[in-house]
Amino acid sequence: MDCCGGMEDHDEDCTEVKVKDSIAQGTVDAAKALESEHYSAGFITDIEMDMAPKGLSEDTVRFISAKKNEPEWLLEWRLAAYKRWLTMEEPTWAMVDYPTINYQDYYYYAAPKTGAKYESIDDVPKEILETYEKLGIPLREAEVLLGVEGAAETAATARETPRVAVDAVFDSVSVATTFRKELEKAGVIFMSISEAVHEYPDLVKKYLGTVVPQSDNFFATLNSAVFSDGTFVYVPKGVRCPMELSTYFRMNAENTGQFERTLIIADEGAYVSYLEGCTAPMRDENQLHAAVVELVALEDAEIKYSTVQNWWPGDENGKGGIYNFVTKRGDCRGDRSKISWTQVETGSAVTWKYPSCILRGDDSVGEFYSIAVTNGRQQADTGTKMIHLGKRTRSRIISKGISAGKSNNTYRGLVSINRKADKARNFTQCDSLLIGDRCGAHTVPYVENRRADAQLEHEATTTKLSDDQMFYVRQRGIGEEEAVALLVNGFVREVLQELPMEFAVEAQSLLKVSLEGSVG
Amino acid sequence: MTTALRDMIANPTTAELELVARYGMQPEDSRRERLFEAFCRTGLPHRRLEAWKWTDFKAALQGLDRPSTSPAQDPIPHAGALVFRFTPNGYFPPDHIPDGLKVFEKDEAQALGAAEDVPLGALAASLSGGKARPATLLLEVTSKELPRLHFQFSGEGEANFARVVVMVRPDMALTVSESHLGGAGLTSSVIEFTLQKGSAVNRTVYQRGTPEEAIASTALVHLDSNSHFTQTSLAFGAKLARLETRVTHQEASAKATLNAAYLVGKDLHADFTTHVRHGANSCVTRQLTKGAVLNGGTGVFQGKFFVPRTAGQYTDADMQHKALLLEEGAVVFAKPELEIYADDVECAHGNTSGALDDDQLFYMRQRGLPEKTARALLTQAFVAEAFAEAGALEEVLRTEAEAWLAAA
Repeated sequence: MDCCGGMEDHDEDCTEVKVKDSIAQGTVDAAKALESEHYSAGFITDIEMDMAPKGLSEDTVRFISAKKNEPEWLLEWRLAAYKRWLTMEEPTWAMVDYPTINYQDYYYYAAPKTGAKYESIDDVPKEILETYEKLGIPLREAEVLLGVEGAAETAATARETPRVAVDAVFDSVSVATTFRKELEKAGVIFMSISEAVHEYPDLVKKYLGTVVPQSDNFFATLNSAVFSDGTFVYVPKGVRCPMELSTYFRMNAENTGQFERTLIIADEGAYVSYLEGCTAPMRDENQLHAAVVELVALEDAEIKYSTVQNWWPGDENGKGGIYNFVTKRGDCRGDRSKISWTQVETGSAVTWKYPSCILRGDDSVGEFYSIAVTNGRQQADTGTKMIHLGKRTRSRIISKGISAGKSNNTYRGLVSINRKADKARNFTQCDSLLIGDRCGAHTVPYVENRRADAQLEHEATTTKLSDDQMFYVRQRGIGEEEAVALLVNGFVREVLQELPMEFAVEAQSLLKVSLEGSVG
Repeated sequence: MTTALRDMIANPTTAELELVARYGMQPEDSRRERLFEAFCRTGLPHRRLEAWKWTDFKAALQGLDRPSTSPAQDPIPHAGALVFRFTPNGYFPPDHIPDGLKVFEKDEAQALGAAEDVPLGALAASLSGGKARPATLLLEVTSKELPRLHFQFSGEGEANFARVVVMVRPDMALTVSESHLGGAGLTSSVIEFTLQKGSAVNRTVYQRGTPEEAIASTALVHLDSNSHFTQTSLAFGAKLARLETRVTHQEASAKATLNAAYLVGKDLHADFTTHVRHGANSCVTRQLTKGAVLNGGTGVFQGKFFVPRTAGQYTDADMQHKALLLEEGAVVFAKPELEIYADDVECAHGNTSGALDDDQLFYMRQRGLPEKTARALLTQAFVAEAFAEAGALEEVLRTEAEAWLAAA
């Protein structure tokens, strides 16, 4: 089957894509700029790696755990997940099509041999330095990024606000985490999860797997067994995290799988904004990325989680690329808590990703803003779940899907209003744009309402998108559709501007893609 | 052979074993076998199948039991119509067949396209037949002036199955109505409409059942160029009621209008499922579904527009589903879905659910209307929009809806 849904009269040889007249040339060009030949992060870093033996077995799990010198409880936790995973089947319901994955063909652990921390900038392997330079991170920042001691202060002063603390994950390990000391002063814990397991075992034990249980789904269970590194954040009571936190994920080694695990906890009244960026080299084989992200927001806390996902999407013929099978979920555990997901998805050969919110606390708020762009042979099946459990919980979903080339882009979402969610409120809008006649755009929303006083709207009216802002923009003479696009893009732009990485520029170019001629 | 088919069903229930036994009593027929095989691939559809996740027949039907309740009265007038009745015990055609209608009562099963997609339709097609009724009732329409055809599926017993095929010749027109009134533990019918070039069909479907019976109606509609299919449905639900319509725009410039309303009370469940394939250029689909649900009732709406590449350019399709949850304890599930591979199309969908608008209620109450009356009036107005295309039967549907609301 080809990527476009088994259309019998599909002409493989014809490479010219026809675009209907009503789509502006600027939009077409902007989409074209995202094609694989323009992928700027596709280089390979040649560095000696320490790898686990190829394949997956109980021994692999033990190997990873031993490498990280983990406590017994965590090894048991991993092994339990592994046993469970053996009994599970890979999900097939998503609108994506890829060859059967041989899970024995991957390396489940790969780390630079030279280790993680360096005494002086001179000790940093040239290759790693160059990697970050090429990704557009200025040297000063790179010093910080690579954990050269003493560099943090100078970098901190060198850079204007807002500053961003970075955790850099290179294949299976966190290479460095910046601004840790300064964050510690505010009481914020920001480190790799491997370190947190040793330094804050109680916190990790208390929250790990409580939002995405070990047995949640096939990919999350796999991750629970073999997760290598990721970020751990704890923001204590009443603290507004003094800077943006971010993790930069880089997959480098051949035939590897990256299985990061991120856990972010915002204690009562805390606030944190977290950014995540991902790139990978252009390789002919498919690499596997199965991450789990868990967010916990306690009473009055707020977590803003932004992703710019730019994994190598494969070439225009669908060769290579990352399989991005990610489970992201936030738990608004406390009253009046808020979790906001923003994602700009441009990369990966196959995306299977549904950042979700469990709105447990009364008056809690969940948001999902997404721009997903597919090109070439990319396939994306992405969306969100808003599970309303608490009273007066509110959620908002804004999703823009743009398909070009021979790609397929699916929005799949669930809004579920529980019997006890008095006066729950949801607004959903998902627009799709097809650029060319060889791609597909799909919308699969599930809406489950068990409350008479709930108010649910799915693309019914656009006026419900922050009435005040809409009114302001519209009274300036801007049309309704344009106003919505402006507000959504405005929100995303605000987040993108905070990104310290080269590909933020690329992601911003997305915003030039206008949304005229939208369907659905 | 029966054993092999039975073995295809995973963990068969008593009801499924009884259905296999019924199949064993039917005359041998290779088409029938294929149809029953299509059913056996899934057995009674259940929640693990995506299209049935909210309407689980396997769980609801433990056995094929005769309900203690009687079938509902038929509100659709029989006077002036050509009435075909299907009961668990037999088939009763009208006494007189006018010119312009040809009736063929076939003893053999007929092939059913995409039988795997409609397991309960395949079941109805494979178990219709035997001594008392045709395996397939084939109707050919060669007139514009026929009286309304009325199909009634009703009567006490364990199970009631029927298969009807309607062929409307070029430029001809037909009005058809159906009443699915229950009376049997399981009633399942499948009806196919082929609208040839320039023809028109106006179909009205009425469904009413009790918490002791399951009712499934499957309609497959094929539209040739410039044909126009209009459908208006009103469902009150049953233990499970599923009204499924699958429309294929086969040639250019066909039009389909699919309107529906569900009014669901305690312990009842009504499911409207539609699938529209825009397989030709410049076809139009307009779909409006309204629902109102009381405490203990469940309303389900699943709609899908499928627009294939190259074939479906210039599609103009709109899907709206609006539901009112009249009381706490009401449940509404919705899945308005689009799958689009053509770039020059306009497809939209909207989905809302919630309570009556407080402002509207306030307005009516300050005009001196008691709350109950105000609510009933607003709900009536809300639901009645779906009946606008039902022609002469609009009033019947409206009256039925009003009576239900008055009692609610």
